[in-house]
Amino acid sequence: MLEQPDATDLLNTARDSLLQKLLPTLPAHLHYEARMIANAMAIAARAAGVDAAPLATRLRSFADDEAHFAARIRAGAYPPGSPAYVGAAKLLQEMVRLRCTVSAPRALKGEP
Amino acid sequence: MDEARRAALNAWLSNAAGASVVISATSLLSGGAIQQNWALSVTRGGAAEEWVLRTDNAATLAVSLPRSAEYALLRAAFTEGVTVPEPLFCCEDASIIGAPFFVMRRVAGTATGFRLAKAAAARGGDDALVAALGAELARIHRIRPPHEDFGFLGVPPADAGADFVAAMRARLDAANTPRPSVEWGLSALARHLPPPVPPVLCHNDFRTGNLMVEAGQVTAILDWEFAAWGDPHADLGWFCAPCWRFGNLALEAGGLGSRAAFLRGYGGGADPSRLPFWELAASIRWAVIAADQGARHLSGVERSLELALTAHIIPELEMDILRQVEALDAGTA
Repeated sequence: MLEQPDATDLLNTARDSLLQKLLPTLPAHLHYEARMIANAMAIAARAAGVDAAPLATRLRSFADDEAHFAARIRAGAYPPGSPAYVGAAKLLQEMVRLRCTVSAPRALKGEP
Repeated sequence: MDEARRAALNAWLSNAAGASVVISATSLLSGGAIQQNWALSVTRGGAAEEWVLRTDNAATLAVSLPRSAEYALLRAAFTEGVTVPEPLFCCEDASIIGAPFFVMRRVAGTATGFRLAKAAAARGGDDALVAALGAELARIHRIRPPHEDFGFLGVPPADAGADFVAAMRARLDAANTPRPSVEWGLSALARHLPPPVPPVLCHNDFRTGNLMVEAGQVTAILDWEFAAWGDPHADLGWFCAPCWRFGNLALEAGGLGSRAAFLRGYGGGADPSRLPFWELAASIRWAVIAADQGARHLSGVERSLELALTAHIIPELEMDILRQVEALDAGTA
Protein backbone atom coordinates (compact mmCIF):
# COMPACT_ATOMS: atom_id res chain seq x y z
CA MET A 1 0.00 0.00 0.00
CA LEU A 2 2.82 2.40 0.87
CA GLU A 3 5.37 3.77 -1.58
CA GLN A 4 8.95 2.55 -1.58
CA PRO A 5 11.65 3.21 -0.42
CA ASP A 6 10.39 2.44 3.09
CA ALA A 7 11.19 4.17 6.37
CA THR A 8 14.38 2.18 7.00
CA ASP A 9 15.77 2.90 3.55
CA LEU A 10 14.91 6.61 3.72
CA LEU A 11 16.46 7.03 7.16
CA ASN A 12 19.63 5.22 6.14
CA THR A 13 19.95 7.18 2.91
CA ALA A 14 19.36 10.49 4.68
CA ARG A 15 21.86 9.52 7.37
CA ASP A 16 24.56 8.78 4.77
CA SER A 17 23.91 12.17 3.23
CA LEU A 18 24.20 13.88 6.63
CA LEU A 19 27.48 12.15 7.52
CA GLN A 20 29.15 12.26 4.12
CA LYS A 21 27.98 15.57 2.65
CA LEU A 22 26.82 17.85 5.47
CA LEU A 23 29.08 16.93 8.39
CA PRO A 24 32.38 17.83 6.66
CA THR A 25 31.05 21.31 5.92
CA LEU A 26 29.77 22.02 9.43
CA PRO A 27 31.80 24.03 11.98
CA ALA A 28 33.40 21.88 14.68
CA HIS A 29 31.01 22.99 17.44
CA LEU A 30 28.08 21.42 15.52
CA HIS A 31 29.74 18.04 14.87
CA TYR A 32 28.48 16.52 18.12
CA GLU A 33 24.90 17.60 17.34
CA ALA A 34 25.19 16.20 13.80
CA ARG A 35 26.51 12.89 15.09
CA MET A 36 23.64 12.70 17.60
CA ILE A 37 21.18 13.25 14.73
CA ALA A 38 22.88 10.48 12.74
CA ASN A 39 22.70 8.19 15.76
CA ALA A 40 18.99 8.92 16.27
CA MET A 41 18.32 8.17 12.59
CA ALA A 42 20.20 4.86 12.84
CA ILE A 43 18.16 3.82 15.89
CA ALA A 44 14.90 4.80 14.19
CA ALA A 45 15.89 2.87 11.03
CA ARG A 46 16.63 -0.27 13.04
CA ALA A 47 13.42 0.10 15.06
CA ALA A 48 11.40 0.22 11.84
CA GLY A 49 12.79 -3.18 10.88
CA VAL A 50 12.08 -5.03 14.12
CA ASP A 51 9.09 -7.20 14.99
CA ALA A 52 8.52 -7.44 18.75
CA ALA A 53 5.27 -9.42 18.42
CA PRO A 54 6.76 -12.96 18.82
CA LEU A 55 8.47 -11.98 22.07
CA ALA A 56 5.33 -10.27 23.34
CA THR A 57 3.51 -13.56 22.76
CA ARG A 58 6.21 -15.47 24.68
CA LEU A 59 5.98 -12.94 27.50
CA ARG A 60 2.30 -13.76 27.95
CA SER A 61 3.22 -17.30 29.04
CA PHE A 62 4.99 -15.67 32.01
CA ALA A 63 2.76 -12.71 32.86
CA ASP A 64 -0.04 -10.49 31.59
CA ASP A 65 2.38 -7.83 30.37
CA GLU A 66 5.80 -6.27 31.11
CA ALA A 67 4.53 -4.50 34.24
CA HIS A 68 3.14 -7.77 35.62
CA PHE A 69 6.40 -9.59 34.75
CA ALA A 70 8.42 -6.89 36.55
CA ALA A 71 6.14 -7.14 39.59
CA ARG A 72 6.49 -10.94 39.67
CA ILE A 73 10.29 -10.64 39.55
CA ARG A 74 10.22 -8.21 42.49
CA ALA A 75 7.87 -10.52 44.40
CA GLY A 76 10.42 -13.34 44.14
CA ALA A 77 8.52 -15.59 41.73
CA TYR A 78 11.76 -16.80 40.12
CA PRO A 79 14.12 -18.11 42.85
CA PRO A 80 17.65 -19.09 41.72
CA GLY A 81 18.05 -22.81 41.17
CA SER A 82 14.44 -23.28 40.04
CA PRO A 83 13.22 -24.00 36.49
CA ALA A 84 11.24 -20.75 36.75
CA TYR A 85 14.51 -18.83 37.23
CA VAL A 86 16.06 -20.43 34.14
CA GLY A 87 12.99 -19.69 32.03
CA ALA A 88 12.70 -16.09 33.18
CA ALA A 89 16.43 -15.48 32.65
CA LYS A 90 16.16 -16.81 29.10
CA LEU A 91 13.15 -14.64 28.28
CA LEU A 92 14.86 -11.56 29.71
CA GLN A 93 17.92 -12.27 27.62
CA GLU A 94 15.84 -12.47 24.46
CA MET A 95 13.98 -9.25 25.35
CA VAL A 96 17.24 -7.40 26.03
CA ARG A 97 18.83 -8.72 22.84
CA LEU A 98 15.88 -7.43 20.84
CA ARG A 99 16.15 -4.05 22.58
CA CYS A 100 19.91 -3.97 21.85
CA THR A 101 19.28 -4.85 18.20
CA VAL A 102 17.57 -1.46 17.96
CA SER A 103 19.38 0.70 20.52
CA ALA A 104 22.91 -0.70 20.80
CA PRO A 105 23.85 -3.42 18.30
CA ARG A 106 27.50 -3.17 19.37
CA ALA A 107 26.44 -4.74 22.70
CA LEU A 108 25.59 -7.92 20.80
CA LYS A 109 29.13 -8.40 19.53
CA GLY A 110 30.45 -11.69 20.84
CA GLU A 111 26.92 -12.92 21.62
CA PRO A 112 26.01 -16.36 20.20
CA MET B 1 25.78 35.38 28.98
CA ASP B 2 24.09 38.73 28.21
CA GLU B 3 25.57 42.13 29.12
CA ALA B 4 23.20 42.82 32.03
CA ARG B 5 24.00 39.52 33.73
CA ARG B 6 27.69 39.92 33.09
CA ALA B 7 27.65 43.37 34.70
CA ALA B 8 25.71 42.07 37.72
CA LEU B 9 28.12 39.16 38.02
CA ASN B 10 31.10 41.48 37.77
CA ALA B 11 29.79 43.62 40.63
CA TRP B 12 28.95 40.59 42.80
CA LEU B 13 32.39 39.01 42.26
CA SER B 14 34.19 42.24 43.16
CA ASN B 15 32.23 42.41 46.39
CA ALA B 16 32.84 38.73 47.21
CA ALA B 17 36.56 38.95 46.41
CA GLY B 18 37.03 42.21 48.31
CA ALA B 19 38.98 43.47 45.33
CA SER B 20 38.23 44.81 41.89
CA VAL B 21 37.30 41.89 39.61
CA VAL B 22 37.00 42.58 35.89
CA ILE B 23 35.64 39.86 33.62
CA SER B 24 37.47 40.03 30.31
CA ALA B 25 35.91 36.98 28.61
CA THR B 26 33.23 34.36 29.18
CA SER B 27 32.54 31.17 27.23
CA LEU B 28 30.23 28.24 27.79
CA LEU B 29 32.16 24.99 28.31
CA SER B 30 30.94 21.76 26.74
CA GLY B 31 29.44 18.88 28.72
CA GLY B 32 26.99 18.79 31.57
CA ALA B 33 23.38 17.81 30.88
CA ILE B 34 22.35 19.10 34.28
CA GLN B 35 24.74 21.96 34.95
CA GLN B 36 26.26 24.75 32.92
CA ASN B 37 29.93 25.54 33.27
CA TRP B 38 31.27 28.91 32.12
CA ALA B 39 34.94 29.71 31.67
CA LEU B 40 35.68 33.17 33.07
CA SER B 41 38.86 35.07 32.30
CA VAL B 42 39.21 37.78 34.93
CA THR B 43 41.61 40.17 36.55
CA ARG B 44 41.48 40.35 40.36
CA GLY B 45 43.20 43.43 41.72
CA GLY B 46 44.87 43.73 38.31
CA ALA B 47 46.25 40.16 38.18
CA ALA B 48 44.92 37.73 35.56
CA GLU B 49 43.16 34.58 36.75
CA GLU B 50 41.17 31.79 35.06
CA TRP B 51 37.97 30.69 36.79
CA VAL B 52 34.99 28.42 36.14
CA LEU B 53 31.45 29.41 37.09
CA ARG B 54 29.09 26.49 37.65
CA THR B 55 25.33 26.97 37.63
CA ASP B 56 22.11 25.07 36.96
CA ASN B 57 20.75 24.28 33.53
CA ALA B 58 17.11 24.97 32.66
CA ALA B 59 15.91 21.73 34.27
CA THR B 60 17.73 20.05 37.13
CA LEU B 61 17.38 16.51 38.42
CA ALA B 62 15.61 16.26 41.76
CA VAL B 63 18.36 13.95 43.01
CA SER B 64 21.10 16.45 42.24
CA LEU B 65 22.41 18.62 45.11
CA PRO B 66 22.07 22.43 44.96
CA ARG B 67 25.15 24.45 43.98
CA SER B 68 25.72 25.68 47.55
CA ALA B 69 25.95 22.08 48.74
CA GLU B 70 28.33 21.16 45.94
CA TYR B 71 30.46 24.13 46.95
CA ALA B 72 30.57 22.96 50.60
CA LEU B 73 31.63 19.49 49.44
CA LEU B 74 34.34 20.95 47.23
CA ARG B 75 35.68 22.98 50.17
CA ALA B 76 35.79 19.92 52.43
CA ALA B 77 37.50 17.85 49.73
CA PHE B 78 40.01 20.64 49.07
CA THR B 79 40.79 20.78 52.80
CA GLU B 80 41.24 16.98 52.92
CA GLY B 81 43.84 17.16 50.14
CA VAL B 82 41.68 15.74 47.37
CA THR B 83 42.74 17.10 43.97
CA VAL B 84 39.85 19.45 43.19
CA PRO B 85 39.68 22.94 41.70
CA GLU B 86 40.07 25.50 44.51
CA PRO B 87 36.57 26.70 45.45
CA LEU B 88 36.46 30.51 45.53
CA PHE B 89 32.97 32.00 45.94
CA CYS B 90 29.38 30.80 46.23
CA CYS B 91 26.25 32.84 45.44
CA GLU B 92 22.83 31.58 46.47
CA ASP B 93 21.08 34.71 45.15
CA ALA B 94 19.31 33.64 41.95
CA SER B 95 18.81 37.25 40.84
CA ILE B 96 22.45 37.83 39.83
CA ILE B 97 22.64 35.53 36.79
CA GLY B 98 19.24 33.81 36.98
CA ALA B 99 20.27 30.83 39.15
CA PRO B 100 22.58 30.15 42.13
CA PHE B 101 26.20 29.53 41.18
CA PHE B 102 29.69 29.01 42.52
CA VAL B 103 33.10 29.92 41.21
CA MET B 104 36.23 27.78 41.31
CA ARG B 105 39.70 28.08 39.92
CA ARG B 106 40.09 26.66 36.43
CA VAL B 107 42.51 23.75 36.11
CA ALA B 108 44.19 22.37 33.00
CA GLY B 109 43.41 18.93 31.65
CA THR B 110 41.10 16.70 29.67
CA ALA B 111 37.99 15.15 31.18
CA THR B 112 36.57 13.64 27.97
CA GLY B 113 36.14 9.96 28.76
CA PHE B 114 36.76 8.45 25.36
CA ARG B 115 39.93 10.50 24.83
CA LEU B 116 41.40 9.41 28.15
CA ALA B 117 40.39 5.80 27.50
CA LYS B 118 41.94 5.90 24.02
CA ALA B 119 45.20 7.31 25.38
CA ALA B 120 45.31 4.69 28.15
CA ALA B 121 44.56 1.84 25.72
CA ALA B 122 47.36 3.00 23.42
CA ARG B 123 49.75 2.41 26.32
CA GLY B 124 48.21 -0.97 27.21
CA GLY B 125 46.67 0.63 30.30
CA ASP B 126 47.89 3.33 32.65
CA ASP B 127 48.29 1.71 36.06
CA ALA B 128 50.07 4.73 37.53
CA LEU B 129 47.05 6.90 36.70
CA VAL B 130 44.47 4.50 38.16
CA ALA B 131 46.61 4.02 41.29
CA ALA B 132 46.61 7.81 41.72
CA LEU B 133 42.83 7.82 41.24
CA GLY B 134 42.50 5.09 43.87
CA ALA B 135 44.46 7.28 46.28
CA GLU B 136 42.18 10.26 45.49
CA LEU B 137 39.13 8.16 46.29
CA ALA B 138 40.68 6.97 49.57
CA ARG B 139 41.17 10.64 50.56
CA ILE B 140 37.51 11.38 49.77
CA HIS B 141 36.46 8.42 51.92
CA ARG B 142 38.42 9.79 54.89
CA ILE B 143 35.60 12.35 55.22
CA ARG B 144 33.15 10.70 57.59
CA PRO B 145 30.00 11.63 59.47
CA PRO B 146 29.21 13.61 61.47
CA HIS B 147 30.32 16.72 59.56
CA GLU B 148 29.10 20.15 60.62
CA ASP B 149 28.91 21.57 57.05
CA PHE B 150 26.99 18.65 55.57
CA GLY B 151 23.54 18.91 57.14
CA PHE B 152 22.13 18.75 53.60
CA LEU B 153 23.36 15.13 53.32
CA GLY B 154 20.92 14.01 56.01
CA VAL B 155 21.34 11.01 58.30
CA PRO B 156 23.93 8.43 57.15
CA PRO B 157 22.34 5.12 56.07
CA ALA B 158 22.51 2.20 58.50
CA ASP B 159 22.63 -0.19 55.53
CA ALA B 160 23.67 1.49 52.27
CA GLY B 161 23.05 -1.64 50.17
CA ALA B 162 19.49 -2.18 51.39
CA ASP B 163 18.79 1.54 51.07
CA PHE B 164 20.04 1.48 47.48
CA VAL B 165 17.69 -1.35 46.51
CA ALA B 166 14.72 0.42 48.14
CA ALA B 167 15.59 3.77 46.52
CA MET B 168 15.93 2.30 43.03
CA ARG B 169 12.64 0.43 43.36
CA ALA B 170 10.95 3.64 44.44
CA ARG B 171 12.36 5.49 41.42
CA LEU B 172 11.21 2.75 39.04
CA ASP B 173 7.74 2.92 40.59
CA ALA B 174 7.66 6.71 40.26
CA ALA B 175 8.73 6.52 36.60
CA ASN B 176 5.93 4.04 35.90
CA THR B 177 7.73 2.33 33.00
CA PRO B 178 8.10 -1.43 33.60
CA ARG B 179 11.74 -2.55 33.42
CA PRO B 180 11.86 -6.31 34.09
CA SER B 181 15.63 -6.60 33.55
CA VAL B 182 16.38 -3.82 36.03
CA GLU B 183 14.01 -5.52 38.51
CA TRP B 184 15.93 -8.76 37.87
CA GLY B 185 19.12 -6.98 38.88
CA LEU B 186 17.55 -5.44 41.98
CA SER B 187 16.23 -8.82 43.12
CA ALA B 188 19.76 -10.24 42.79
CA LEU B 189 21.11 -7.36 44.87
CA ALA B 190 18.47 -8.04 47.54
CA ARG B 191 19.61 -11.70 47.65
CA HIS B 192 23.29 -10.79 47.95
CA LEU B 193 23.25 -7.82 50.33
CA PRO B 194 26.68 -7.41 51.93
CA PRO B 195 26.79 -6.68 55.67
CA PRO B 196 26.81 -2.91 56.34
CA VAL B 197 30.10 -1.05 56.89
CA PRO B 198 30.56 2.36 58.59
CA PRO B 199 29.44 5.11 56.19
CA VAL B 200 31.84 7.52 54.48
CA LEU B 201 31.45 10.41 52.07
CA CYS B 202 30.81 8.85 48.65
CA HIS B 203 31.37 11.02 45.59
CA ASN B 204 28.76 8.93 43.74
CA ASP B 205 29.90 9.91 40.25
CA PHE B 206 33.62 9.06 40.47
CA ARG B 207 34.28 7.79 36.96
CA THR B 208 36.19 8.40 33.77
CA GLY B 209 34.56 11.52 32.30
CA ASN B 210 34.41 13.32 35.64
CA LEU B 211 38.17 13.34 36.17
CA MET B 212 40.57 15.87 34.71
CA VAL B 213 43.94 14.54 33.59
CA GLU B 214 46.89 16.47 32.20
CA ALA B 215 50.06 14.70 31.01
CA GLY B 216 49.12 11.52 32.85
CA GLN B 217 48.51 13.32 36.16
CA VAL B 218 45.15 13.80 37.91
CA THR B 219 44.38 17.53 37.96
CA ALA B 220 40.81 17.51 39.29
CA ILE B 221 37.97 15.34 40.59
CA LEU B 222 34.83 17.02 39.26
CA ASP B 223 31.02 16.89 39.56
CA TRP B 224 30.18 16.48 43.24
CA GLU B 225 26.45 16.96 42.80
CA PHE B 226 25.49 13.37 43.71
CA ALA B 227 27.70 13.03 46.82
CA ALA B 228 26.13 11.31 49.84
CA TRP B 229 27.00 9.23 52.89
CA GLY B 230 27.32 5.58 51.91
CA ASP B 231 29.38 2.42 51.48
CA PRO B 232 32.84 3.27 50.06
CA HIS B 233 32.57 0.23 47.78
CA ALA B 234 29.76 2.01 45.92
CA ASP B 235 32.37 4.45 44.52
CA LEU B 236 34.86 1.65 43.81
CA GLY B 237 32.17 -0.34 41.99
CA TRP B 238 30.93 2.69 40.02
CA PHE B 239 34.45 3.40 38.77
CA CYS B 240 35.04 -0.25 37.74
CA ALA B 241 31.58 -0.99 36.25
CA PRO B 242 31.59 -2.14 32.60
CA CYS B 243 29.47 0.86 31.55
CA TRP B 244 32.24 3.31 32.47
CA ARG B 245 35.10 1.62 30.63
CA PHE B 246 34.50 3.49 27.35
CA GLY B 247 34.93 0.34 25.28
CA ASN B 248 38.15 -0.79 27.02
CA LEU B 249 36.45 -3.71 28.76
CA ALA B 250 39.76 -5.38 29.70
CA LEU B 251 40.93 -2.23 31.53
CA GLU B 252 38.56 -2.82 34.42
CA ALA B 253 39.40 0.36 36.33
CA GLY B 254 37.48 3.00 34.39
CA GLY B 255 38.77 1.78 31.02
CA LEU B 256 42.10 3.30 32.04
CA GLY B 257 44.06 0.62 33.92
CA SER B 258 43.93 -2.56 35.94
CA ARG B 259 41.61 -3.12 38.85
CA ALA B 260 44.56 -4.39 40.92
CA ALA B 261 46.47 -1.10 40.47
CA PHE B 262 43.38 0.94 41.30
CA LEU B 263 42.75 -1.03 44.52
CA ARG B 264 46.46 -0.88 45.39
CA GLY B 265 46.31 2.91 45.10
CA TYR B 266 43.19 2.94 47.26
CA GLY B 267 45.05 1.04 49.98
CA GLY B 268 43.60 -0.91 52.90
CA GLY B 269 39.92 -0.65 53.61
CA ALA B 270 38.66 -2.04 50.31
CA ASP B 271 37.07 -5.48 50.35
CA PRO B 272 37.15 -6.82 46.75
CA SER B 273 34.44 -9.38 47.59
CA ARG B 274 31.95 -6.48 47.91
CA LEU B 275 32.67 -5.16 44.40
CA PRO B 276 30.42 -7.50 42.35
CA PHE B 277 27.42 -6.27 44.36
CA TRP B 278 28.33 -2.62 43.83
CA GLU B 279 29.28 -3.05 40.15
CA LEU B 280 25.83 -4.53 39.50
CA ALA B 281 24.40 -1.65 41.52
CA ALA B 282 26.31 0.73 39.22
CA SER B 283 24.76 -0.72 36.05
CA ILE B 284 21.31 -0.49 37.65
CA ARG B 285 21.85 3.06 38.89
CA TRP B 286 23.04 4.31 35.50
CA ALA B 287 20.04 2.60 33.85
CA VAL B 288 17.66 4.32 36.27
CA ILE B 289 19.35 7.71 35.76
CA ALA B 290 19.25 7.24 31.98
CA ALA B 291 15.56 6.35 32.22
CA ASP B 292 14.91 9.53 34.22
CA GLN B 293 16.80 11.60 31.63
CA GLY B 294 14.79 10.02 28.82
CA ALA B 295 11.62 10.76 30.78
CA ARG B 296 12.56 14.45 31.00
CA HIS B 297 12.51 14.51 27.21
CA LEU B 298 9.35 12.41 26.86
CA SER B 299 7.44 14.44 29.45
CA GLY B 300 8.26 17.70 27.69
CA VAL B 301 10.06 19.14 30.74
CA GLU B 302 13.13 19.50 28.55
CA ARG B 303 12.89 18.35 24.93
CA SER B 304 16.43 17.39 23.97
CA LEU B 305 18.03 15.03 21.48
CA GLU B 306 20.82 14.28 23.96
CA LEU B 307 18.33 13.24 26.66
CA ALA B 308 16.31 11.22 24.14
CA LEU B 309 19.42 9.29 23.09
CA THR B 310 20.44 8.71 26.70
CA ALA B 311 17.36 6.49 27.09
CA HIS B 312 18.74 4.27 24.33
CA ILE B 313 21.77 3.47 26.49
CA ILE B 314 19.47 1.42 28.76
CA PRO B 315 19.30 -1.83 26.71
CA GLU B 316 23.10 -2.14 26.74
CA LEU B 317 23.08 -1.60 30.51
CA GLU B 318 20.41 -4.28 30.80
CA MET B 319 22.75 -6.65 28.95
CA ASP B 320 25.42 -5.88 31.56
CA ILE B 321 22.87 -6.41 34.35
CA LEU B 322 21.85 -9.86 33.10
CA ARG B 323 25.50 -10.97 32.84
CA GLN B 324 26.31 -9.57 36.27
CA VAL B 325 23.30 -11.27 37.89
CA GLU B 326 24.27 -14.59 36.32
CA ALA B 327 27.81 -14.29 37.73
CA LEU B 328 26.61 -13.12 41.15
CA ASP B 329 24.09 -15.97 41.49
CA ALA B 330 26.62 -18.53 40.21
CA GLY B 331 29.24 -17.25 42.65
CA THR B 332 31.67 -16.54 39.80
CA ALA B 333 31.56 -12.73 39.95
